[in-house]
Amino acid sequence: MKEGLRLAELGEIPFDEKEILRYAMLPSFAPAPEELPMKECLAAAKGAVQCRAVWCRYPLKRDGEELDLGFARTTSRGLKEHLEGCDEIILFACTAGAEMDRRIGRAKLQSPAKGLLMHAIGAQQVESGCDRLCRQLAEQFPDKQLTDRYSPGYGDLPLEMQKDVMTALDCGRTVGITLTDSLLMTPSKSVTAIIGMKERKSE
Amino acid sequence: MNLKELLQKGPFFLDGGMGTLLQARGLKPGEAPEKWGMTHPDVITDIQRSYYEAGTDMVLTNTFGVHPLRYSLSECEEMVRTAIGCADKARKAIADGKERFVALDIGPCGRLLKPLGNLDFEEAVQGFAEVVRFGVKYGADCVFIETMNDGAEARAALLAAKENSDLPVLVSCAYGADGKLMTGGTPESVVAMLESLGADAVGVNCSLGPDALAPIVERYLAAASIPVLMKPNAGLPQEKDGKTVYNVGPEEFSADIVPLIEKGLRIIGGCCGTTPDFIRAVKNASAGRVPPAVEKKEKTIIASRGHAIELGKDPVIIGERINPTGKKRLRKALEEGDMAYVLNEAIVQEEHGAEVLDVNVGTPGVDEPALLEQAVQELQAVTDLPLQLDTSDPEAMRRALRVYNGKALINSVNGKQEVMDAIFPLVKKYGGAVVALTLDEDGIPGTAEGRLAIAEKILKEAAKYGIGPKDILFDTLTMTVSTDGNAAKVTLDALKMIREKTGCGTVLGVSNVSFGLPVREVLGSVFLTLALENGLSGAIMNPLNERMMGAMISFRTLTGRDENCAAYIQYANDLPTMQAVTPAAGAAGGAKETEAKGLRRAVVKGLCKEAANLTRTALEEGRDSLDLVKEEIIPALDEVGQGFEAKKIFLPQLMMSAEAAEAAVAEIKKKAANQDAQASKGIVVLATVKGDIHDIGKNIVKLLLENYGFTVADLGKDVPPETVLEAVERLHAPICGLSALMTTTVPAMAETVKLVHEKAPWCKVMVGGAVLTEEYAREIGADGYGKDAMASVRLAERYMQEQA
Repeated sequence: MKEGLRLAELGEIPFDEKEILRYAMLPSFAPAPEELPMKECLAAAKGAVQCRAVWCRYPLKRDGEELDLGFARTTSRGLKEHLEGCDEIILFACTAGAEMDRRIGRAKLQSPAKGLLMHAIGAQQVESGCDRLCRQLAEQFPDKQLTDRYSPGYGDLPLEMQKDVMTALDCGRTVGITLTDSLLMTPSKSVTAIIGMKERKSE
Repeated sequence: MNLKELLQKGPFFLDGGMGTLLQARGLKPGEAPEKWGMTHPDVITDIQRSYYEAGTDMVLTNTFGVHPLRYSLSECEEMVRTAIGCADKARKAIADGKERFVALDIGPCGRLLKPLGNLDFEEAVQGFAEVVRFGVKYGADCVFIETMNDGAEARAALLAAKENSDLPVLVSCAYGADGKLMTGGTPESVVAMLESLGADAVGVNCSLGPDALAPIVERYLAAASIPVLMKPNAGLPQEKDGKTVYNVGPEEFSADIVPLIEKGLRIIGGCCGTTPDFIRAVKNASAGRVPPAVEKKEKTIIASRGHAIELGKDPVIIGERINPTGKKRLRKALEEGDMAYVLNEAIVQEEHGAEVLDVNVGTPGVDEPALLEQAVQELQAVTDLPLQLDTSDPEAMRRALRVYNGKALINSVNGKQEVMDAIFPLVKKYGGAVVALTLDEDGIPGTAEGRLAIAEKILKEAAKYGIGPKDILFDTLTMTVSTDGNAAKVTLDALKMIREKTGCGTVLGVSNVSFGLPVREVLGSVFLTLALENGLSGAIMNPLNERMMGAMISFRTLTGRDENCAAYIQYANDLPTMQAVTPAAGAAGGAKETEAKGLRRAVVKGLCKEAANLTRTALEEGRDSLDLVKEEIIPALDEVGQGFEAKKIFLPQLMMSAEAAEAAVAEIKKKAANQDAQASKGIVVLATVKGDIHDIGKNIVKLLLENYGFTVADLGKDVPPETVLEAVERLHAPICGLSALMTTTVPAMAETVKLVHEKAPWCKVMVGGAVLTEEYAREIGADGYGKDAMASVRLAERYMQEQA
């Protein structure tokens, strides 16, 4: 594995039905339809999800209008604001794995409602996987303050940066994420993001 | 001794890691080693020489990342030329007369193949083919495909190597700690696939240390009839003083590997974190040890992407339902290119216990080669059951075999010379296990002996191609007992005789025996039992037929194959649901009025079963079907639709209602097969645009449009503009709906809109998807913007009114 890359142990991510419904675009105050195939979908997703994550730490430098992220350079204003005061970043990639994509595809064929739900389950799993990774990182760097996640494609940070992310984290090899020619990630339930780090001020 | 012989003999030593050593000599993180090597050839030679000196028999060239998807062809050629030159220089630098080899190293291309990704299989093969041709041109001794974490890509690279060189090809995959590839392959399924496609050695590398990889290597050794290789990492990476270090040293490394040599491991190297010291340590520690000879396995194995099964041990169920013979609905689906129907047949059969799926799409008026290829590709995305490719068209067979990501069951060959001449070369090239029918130019022999004679003839002919008896199964042909009282007996006798005399596995299509007779499944299930008792390895049957399944499961239970009768009890428990085909009695009793209200309520609430039951009851009681649609279903959908627009009802609720409506309409269609229950409001061509693989939103729009009486031609996802136009023109569709989720795919959408407007000016184009806005939609020239699924329905209705 390339210098500096770290694989995270994320373990099994619990299913959170409330969150899943939220990703399926059902607000928390609305009742879930009686026959919504939640049970079936959870059973289909169980054992399919395998959350993997890889991350790497880089020094952050500012070079005039440009941010030097260590693995790429950008002039994104959004990211600049987000990383205000930080002197380091962590770049990570997290995925729910290829099998989940396959099960989503299968569910879509069976019924659109199942498809929607499976897709929501995949989203919940990978997002919770990211949350868990971030908690692990916070524990690992107790003297640092970590920002939220910021992903290529957010605001004015170009999606093009995904190419650099894939190379930097050797994603194909480390976690099995690749890009299509239109810069979409496969498996589809994958997240890449940048987290800023700054010294925690002692109060 | 030539290289192939040396690999067969073993132990044979490869080199170790390169990346860490290059970084120590100036390669920066993020820099590509193959590119860096162009300007630092001496460093590469130096490192490779140190490997040769440590005892390496064959180094891998510094070409891991060389692929036309990353570099131009001329760059690729230069990189391959330089890298082979470096390795050659390194081996020539040691003048001791010992023979040393240079392997062209090939790593993953960086993109995922269809169906999970969107890289076309042939494009992947073409890319690897270029690299292989350069390797041959500049004198590589063999091709070494490594670190593959997707079986389909490993297969593409191997096929490219086989088609473009005569060099030995070694294929190594990268497994996770769970013993699987990232895309789900197991050691057994991968070995079956690569071995049958002609790999000269298979094995594992990277990802884990030698102790963690050992169980995977042992599974390779148990499955493979060709040499097995291993190139582990130096344990797991750890951080120490801000640097990556690996936790296994040369001594421990070799201590973990040496015992495997005694179990048959014969090709050994290292991956990440290993250095010449590691190779030296293993070489020294293994001095004098010789692996036992490569054992030829005589099992009949077929495999899918992630699943290998043995035929001949326990009988397997081969689902027969994907075969249009006598199936009107499937034939219609194939004619219309409705692949979703085919895929659903696969899922349903799998859920009912099928273990292999027969795939036959031959029906008049379709392009069978193209359709079979498409079906095989798409089926592999939704099911992991091994497939039985069933066609009499050699071209269709060739194309299906080419894209089948595993080791297929090939149905079929027979004793006719012409057929053997057409099919055996395909089996030899692509691998597979063949189903051979015991008939020839003179027809089907009327005796068991006659069928055995044909079987022996087929075995002889297959041997000429190097296809052994383990990869041939015989079908002694089930004939209908109604026309010949002796037919079943001859089939069964031949089955037994062939099983005993040739040792080969057997397959039968069992349903045929009862053709033309009443209560067919009684006869069929007993015939199945008899066939099983006579040694049947695979029954081609309908897994949805509970009586036939009962016979199969009972046989397993009665022959000691069903621990604690668990499968039988499960079967018994599932019986009531299988019988649910008869109408449920529960909903009867109420007055017509309340039932009608009930249906509307059921649709609004999204109660699918209740909606279906209420519709059925209402129809039985004489309610007019059009009435039900107009007075119950449509008002219910309108209520839900308006609720959705007013943000009182949300997406999952809307969808469940749509599904309940669909269930109700399905009942109406069933009853009113002859009368047109619902005239179509018009055709809508629907697609997710090229480059985009998100289709959840598009599917929702489709469901709602169908609910509202539109006919939808769904082209799927990642659809090129030309394909959209072709469908619009062919169907003269008044409406076309396009979806795109990502900013990167909006240009493809704009292009599609432009093309359709130019060439099919009658067609209104509506667009939708997460990145679009009303303004954006106007900018790219769309006629309308559907902000959500309901809005798309409203747009479609408006277009149809305008055209009326």
